[in-house]
Amino acid sequence: MSQDKKGGIKRRDFLKIIGVAGGTAAVAGACSNPAEQIIPYVIPPEGIIPGVPNWYASTCRECPAGCGIIVKNREGRAIKVEGNPKNPINVGTSCAQGQAMLQGLYNPDRIRSPLSRNDLGRLEPQGWDNAQKMLTEKIEEVRKKGGSGRIVFLSDHNEGTLGNLIGDWMSALGGKHLSYEVYSYEPLKEANRIVFGIDKIPTYNIDKTKYLLSFGADFIETWLSPTLYTRQFSEMHGYKDKSMGKFVHVEPRASLTGVSADEWVSIKPGTEAVLALGIASVIVSEGMSVNGGGGFAGLLSGYSPEKVSAVTDVPVDTIKEIAKEFSSMQPSLAIGGGIANTSTNATETLVAINILNYVAGNVGRTIDFGNALTLSEVSTFKEISSLVDSMSGGEVDLLFIYNVNPVFTLPKSLGFEDALGKVPNVVSFSSFMDETTEKANLILPDSTTLESWGDFIPDGRVHGLIQPVMTPVFNTRSTGDVILSVTAQLEGLKGRYTQVSYYDYLRDSWKQVWTSVTGGGDFEAFWNAALENGGIYRDTTPVQVSASGNISGVSFGEPEFTGDGDFYFMAYPSYKYYDGRGANKPWLQELPDAITTGVWDSWVEIHPDTAKKLGVKLGDFVKIESPYGTIETQAYVYEGIRPDTLAVMIGQGHTSYGRYAKDRGVNPLSILPVSTDKITGSFAWLTTKVKASGTGRHAQFVQTQYTTTQHDRDVAQMVTLTELEHGLHQEEHEEPDFYPPVVYDRYHWGMSIDLQKCTGCGACITACYAENNIPFVGKELVAKRRDMAWLRIDRFFEKSDNKAGFETRFLPMLCQQCNNAPCEPVCPVFATYHNPEGLNGMIYNRCVGTRYCSNNCTYSVRKFNWFSYKLPDPLNWQFNPDVTVRDKGVMEKCTFCIQRINYAKDQARDKGRDVLDGEFQVACQQSCASGAIEFGNLKDPESRVSKLSHDERGYRVLNQLNTQPNITYLKKVKWDKA
Amino acid sequence: MSEQNSLTYAKVNEDVIRMLDKPTVKWLALFLPVLGFVGFGMFCFLYQVYTGLGVAGYRHPVFWGVYITDFVFWVGIAHSGTLISAILYLFRASFRVSIYRIAEAMTVFAVLTAGLFPIIHLGRPWFFYWLFPYPNQRELWVNFKSPLLWDVFAVSTYLTVSSVFFFVGMIPDIAAIRDKVKEVPRKIAYTILSLGWKGSNWEWLHYSRAYLYFAAFATPLVLSVHSVVSWDFAMANLPGWHTTIFAPYFVAGAIFSGLGMVITLTIPIRKIFALEDYITLDNYDGMAKMIILTSLIVGYAYGCEFFMAWYSGSPAEWGQFYYRATGQYALFYWIMVVCNVLIPIPLWFKSVRRNIKALFIISIFINIGMWFERFNIIVISLSQGFEPGAWGIYKVSWVEMGITMGSFAWFFMFFLIFIKTLPAISISELKEILPVPKKEAKHHG
Repeated sequence: MSQDKKGGIKRRDFLKIIGVAGGTAAVAGACSNPAEQIIPYVIPPEGIIPGVPNWYASTCRECPAGCGIIVKNREGRAIKVEGNPKNPINVGTSCAQGQAMLQGLYNPDRIRSPLSRNDLGRLEPQGWDNAQKMLTEKIEEVRKKGGSGRIVFLSDHNEGTLGNLIGDWMSALGGKHLSYEVYSYEPLKEANRIVFGIDKIPTYNIDKTKYLLSFGADFIETWLSPTLYTRQFSEMHGYKDKSMGKFVHVEPRASLTGVSADEWVSIKPGTEAVLALGIASVIVSEGMSVNGGGGFAGLLSGYSPEKVSAVTDVPVDTIKEIAKEFSSMQPSLAIGGGIANTSTNATETLVAINILNYVAGNVGRTIDFGNALTLSEVSTFKEISSLVDSMSGGEVDLLFIYNVNPVFTLPKSLGFEDALGKVPNVVSFSSFMDETTEKANLILPDSTTLESWGDFIPDGRVHGLIQPVMTPVFNTRSTGDVILSVTAQLEGLKGRYTQVSYYDYLRDSWKQVWTSVTGGGDFEAFWNAALENGGIYRDTTPVQVSASGNISGVSFGEPEFTGDGDFYFMAYPSYKYYDGRGANKPWLQELPDAITTGVWDSWVEIHPDTAKKLGVKLGDFVKIESPYGTIETQAYVYEGIRPDTLAVMIGQGHTSYGRYAKDRGVNPLSILPVSTDKITGSFAWLTTKVKASGTGRHAQFVQTQYTTTQHDRDVAQMVTLTELEHGLHQEEHEEPDFYPPVVYDRYHWGMSIDLQKCTGCGACITACYAENNIPFVGKELVAKRRDMAWLRIDRFFEKSDNKAGFETRFLPMLCQQCNNAPCEPVCPVFATYHNPEGLNGMIYNRCVGTRYCSNNCTYSVRKFNWFSYKLPDPLNWQFNPDVTVRDKGVMEKCTFCIQRINYAKDQARDKGRDVLDGEFQVACQQSCASGAIEFGNLKDPESRVSKLSHDERGYRVLNQLNTQPNITYLKKVKWDKA
Repeated sequence: MSEQNSLTYAKVNEDVIRMLDKPTVKWLALFLPVLGFVGFGMFCFLYQVYTGLGVAGYRHPVFWGVYITDFVFWVGIAHSGTLISAILYLFRASFRVSIYRIAEAMTVFAVLTAGLFPIIHLGRPWFFYWLFPYPNQRELWVNFKSPLLWDVFAVSTYLTVSSVFFFVGMIPDIAAIRDKVKEVPRKIAYTILSLGWKGSNWEWLHYSRAYLYFAAFATPLVLSVHSVVSWDFAMANLPGWHTTIFAPYFVAGAIFSGLGMVITLTIPIRKIFALEDYITLDNYDGMAKMIILTSLIVGYAYGCEFFMAWYSGSPAEWGQFYYRATGQYALFYWIMVVCNVLIPIPLWFKSVRRNIKALFIISIFINIGMWFERFNIIVISLSQGFEPGAWGIYKVSWVEMGITMGSFAWFFMFFLIFIKTLPAISISELKEILPVPKKEAKHHG
C-alpha cells in the first residue's frame, strides 16, 4: 500500500483494509500478489535471443578438483551450472557443490562493494578508486620500511595464470605467496617420494580395477577429485555383462564412501598401516605376489595376520580373505589418505599402502604418475604454521587473504586468529564476509568465478579456462585486475605489467600455452576454441615407477593420540561444505546428508552401544570434550561407526559467513590439537581422544527421513551376483486390467535408475532444485517435513550377513510418472492429468489444493506449497524462466523436466525429425557422476532407457499396486561370491 | 406415553412457545462466548488464508488432518437427524416425536458446519467454486471420477434435502406460533414463514402426503451421503483406507455419533426448559438401544479391519494396523476403542439406559471417541503409507484447534438461535400422539 506523506490513512487504503477485514477478502482473491510488469527490451542486446539460452564453458573452483562446467545464461543471467562433457575429469557431470555455485554468485550476503575499516573500527563502503588508492598507500608504506617477507599473500590453490601473477607480484614486492589448502594431502606426496621417488599426487585409475581397497579414502565425498572418482568407481563397480568389481572400504566409520562398499571393514583408528602390511604379508607368504614382495619381503614377514588382527581389531579371516582377493582379482588397487583418517602416522600408512600395491603388482597399472595433481604444489602445513609464528612475532606487516578462511579452517589451537590481530594491515579479496575477512582492514571483493576471467590447472591433462558468464552482480572487481592496476601505481613497478586488464594478461599468458600446444598458427582460433571447450585437454604419458625398497626412516609405529577420553574423535570433511566454504549456500544446507538425512546442522555419529552407555538417543545433545575445547551437538545413533569412535562433520559452526552459515552447528576443528604427521609435519586430523557425556538436553533431530529400514516393503531391491550369474527368472506377465492400456503416439518418456551405481551423493537433488525453481525452506520447516525437494534419496539400512552386519541401500525417489497414476483420478479439478507422452502433468494454475493427489500417491513424492516462499534478492535471479515459480496453496512434483523435453522437441521439430535418444538430459541425470540415471523415449525400442526397462535387474517400485510406473529401477547387486 | 397423561393440547402449545420467549441472561451468557469462539475461528481461518496452509499442522506425507476429521465428524453428526426424523417416521416409531425437531435442526446445522471444512482445508480456498461444474469461458470441467466431487454433490444434496425437510415439518408449528405472538416484527416473520398455513383438512391432507414423500426421499440419503464420504477414503489405494467395509462402517459410525450428539444436546435442553414431560426416559431408552447396535457394528468393523489386514498378507496393510495399535498414535487408537466399544457396554442394562446422568456421560465419550475414529483413519493411515522412506508424523497446530473450536461454536450458535426462534419440539406431531380430549378419557393406547 502506498505511503501517504501527510500521515494518516487514505480513503482508498481504508476501503482496502475494510475489504480485507471482511470475510469476503478470502474469496475475492485479495490474497494474490500484486501484478508485476513484464518489460520488454527496448533495445535488445546483441547475442541475446529471448527464450534461447547461451551456454558458456568455464571451470569450477568450488574445490581443487577443477571440474569443467558449462553455465546456462538466459537473458543475461546465469541460471544453471552443468558439467562440461568435454572435460576429462567430470565428463559432463557435477557434484552438489558445483550445482550450488550459483548460490555463491547470487548470495545475498556477498560483499557488495569495497570496504575499509574507519577510525571507529567499523567497515564502511568505499569506491573502487579510493579503495585501490588505500591499498597502494599501504603497500608503499610497508615497502618503505624495507625488509623482505613483510608482505604475505595467502591464497587458495590457484595453479594457473593468477597463481603465477600473484607469485610474480609478491616477488616484485619482496613478499611471499603461500597457497593454502585445508586438505593438502601432503602425506600422499611424501609416501610416494619414499616408495617410488616421485614427490607427487598421482591419478588413480579406479575404473580399470577389478578390486578396490580403500583405507579411508573418501573418494565419493572429498578425496582428491570426487567427481572423477565417483565416475570411475561407477565404471568399476557397476554391474555389466554378468560381472562387476568389488570394493572394500576400511575405516573406523562407514562414511558415504564406506556404505557404497561391498564390505565395510571397521578398523581401530590409526592402524591402517599395520593392516596394509598384514595384507601384503599374506600375499607374499602365500606366494600370491607377482614380485615376491621385492625388497619388502623382510619387512612384511613381521606382520603375521594374527599379530595384525590384535592391533587393528580386524579378524584374521578378513585379512586373509582381502589378501586373497586383492592378489587374485587383478588389476586391483589400494588407496588411502582420506582426510578424516589422517593420524600422526599418516605417511607411514600411505607407505604401507604403496607397498601393498607394489606387492600386488598394481604400480604403473592403476596408479598414473604421468597425470599428477597440481594439488601436490600447495604450501605445506609447516609453512602455514611458520606464517602464524611470524605473524605473531610481528614480522608480517601486510597480509593478503584470497579465497581462504584460515580463522575457520585452521584448528583454534594454532592461534591464527590471535596472530592475525598482530598484523597491522590485513587485506581480503573475499567475496564473502567470513571469519577471516571480518577481521580485515581493507576488503576488495573479488568477482566470483562466474563473473571473472581466469584459468586453473588441476592436473596434467586439463588446463581449464574460466570466463565470465554474466556481468558482476555487485560492485566487485576481479583480483587480477586489482593487482594489475595497483601495481601500475607503485613506485618503480609501473611498467612491470604492460596489460591494462587481467583479461589481457590472461590472453598473453595463454599465448605461451598456445605456442607450447600448437607451436603456432592462429591464436584467435585457438583462444576461441579453448573458450568454447572450457580450456585445453591433453593426453599424458604414464610414468614408469619402481619401488626403491629403501624405506629407512619409516618405522610403522603406533599412532599418537592426545587427550585422555574414551573415544577417538573423527572430524570428517563434508561432501556438501568441503572445508566449510559450502555452508553459506542454502541448497547445500538443505541437501540431506546421505547417511543421517540431517540438514542445516551438525551432529555427532555414535554407535548404538555407546549411545546406550552414555544414555543418549537420537537428538539428545552430547558434550564432547578434548583438552582444547568443548563442543555440544546432537547425537545421531549409527551402527556404521566403531563403538570407541565419535564423528563430527567439518564445515558447520561458522560464527560469520552470512545468514545461512552463521551460528549453525559446531566446528569440530575448534577442539582439535595441532598434531602433525610425524614424517611430513602436515596437519593430522585423527589424533584426539575425547570425553563424551549426555547433557540431558534434547531437541528434534531435523532430518528428512524418519525410518531406517524398509519395514519389509521391498522398495529398494537387491539381487546377488550368483543369482544374476545363473540368470534371473523373468516374470513379465501382463496383469489383467479393467481398463485398456494407455496408448502413446511418438513419445513415452521413461527413466531408469541403477541402484548399484547410485552412491547417494545428492548431486541430483541439488540439480533438481536449481533447474526447477524449488525453494529451500530452512531448518524450522524441514523439521515439519515441509521441504520441497521433488527428488529425495531414501536410504535404508538393512540387516545383512556381511562383515558390517548391515548394508545400505539408496533409493532415489521421485514422481514415477505412472501410466496408471493414483493421483490422477482423485483430483476433482483435473489439475493433475495424464499427458499424451506418458507424463503426469501438473497444472499449477488449476490446482485448488485439496492435496488428495498426494494422499493417494503410492510413493509420497508430491510436495505442497504450504507458504509462498520468497527468496532474498538476488538469489531469485537464479530462477529458471522456463519453470513456473509456484505460489502458496498448490501441489507440485517432479515433471521429468518437461521444459527440457519441450525445448528438445521444439529443436527437433525445427529440424523436421523426432527427438533423438540422448539428445537432451533431464537435470538429475545430467548431474549424476555415476551415471545411475538414464532418461529417454520408451516408444523407441533402441533407446537406452527402453533397453534398460527390460533389463534382468529391472523392477518397478511397488509394482503389485498396478500403478505401472515409467521409472525402472535396476536392483542393487550384492557381492556374494567367495 | 403414560407420562404425558397430564398434557393437554393447550399445554403443549404453551410449553413449546414458552421456549421462544425473550432471551434470558442465561441464554446470553451462553450465546456471547459462543460468538467469541466463532470469531476466533474466523480469525484463525483468515490468518491461514493470508499466511498459507502451512500454519496448520500438516507434515509430509499427512496431507489431510484435523479439518477433514472435523468434516467427517460433522457429516456423521448430521446423520442421526435424518435417521430420527425420516426413517423412524416411516417406521412409525413414536419415541421420535419429542426429539426429532432437535435432531433435524442438528442435522441442518451440522451439515452447515461440515460444509465449511472442505473449503477451509483447501490450499487456495478462494477458488473453491472450481469444484462445481459450472459453464465457464475457459471450458474447464470437473473430474467426475474424483470422490471429492461426489462429496460436493452428496453434501450439497444433503444440505438441500435436510433443510427442506426441516422447514416443511415446521410449517404447522410456525403457524401456531404466528397465531400466538403479538409483537409486530416477529408476527411478520412467522407469517411469512408459515406460508399462509390455515390448518384446513385439505391442507393437512396434502401436507401429510408431502411429508411422507420427503421422509422417503431423505431416507436413502442417510445411507448414501456417508457412504460417499467414506469413499473419499475407500477409493484411495492407501493401506487403512482402501477397504470395502468403509461404507457400512461409516454409516453405522455416523448414526452412532449422531445419536451420541442428540443425547448430548437434548439432555441440557430438557433440563433447562423443563421438558421432562416431552422428552421422556422412554425416548432415551430407544436411542440407547440404537447406540448399542451401532456400537456393536463399529466394534465389529474395528476387529474386521485387523483381521483383513492380517489375512491379506500384505505387509503394508498389516503394518498399518499394527502401527495404529502400537505406534506413536496408539493412545488415540485406544481412546477410540474404549470410547466407542467399551464405554457403551453398560447400556445393555436398562437401569443405565434410563439414567440421564449416565447417558449424558456416555454420550460425551461417544462424541470424543467418534472424533478420534475419524482422526485415526485419516491421520494414522496417511502417516505410514506404502513407501517407508516418506513416513512422517502429523502434529495439530493451534490454528486447527482454533478452527475446530470455532466450528463447535458455529454449530452451537445456530442451535442457540434455533431454540429461541423456532419450535424445538414438534407441536403438531406431539398432539397427534396425545390422547384425544374427551369427557371421559379413560382408555387409550
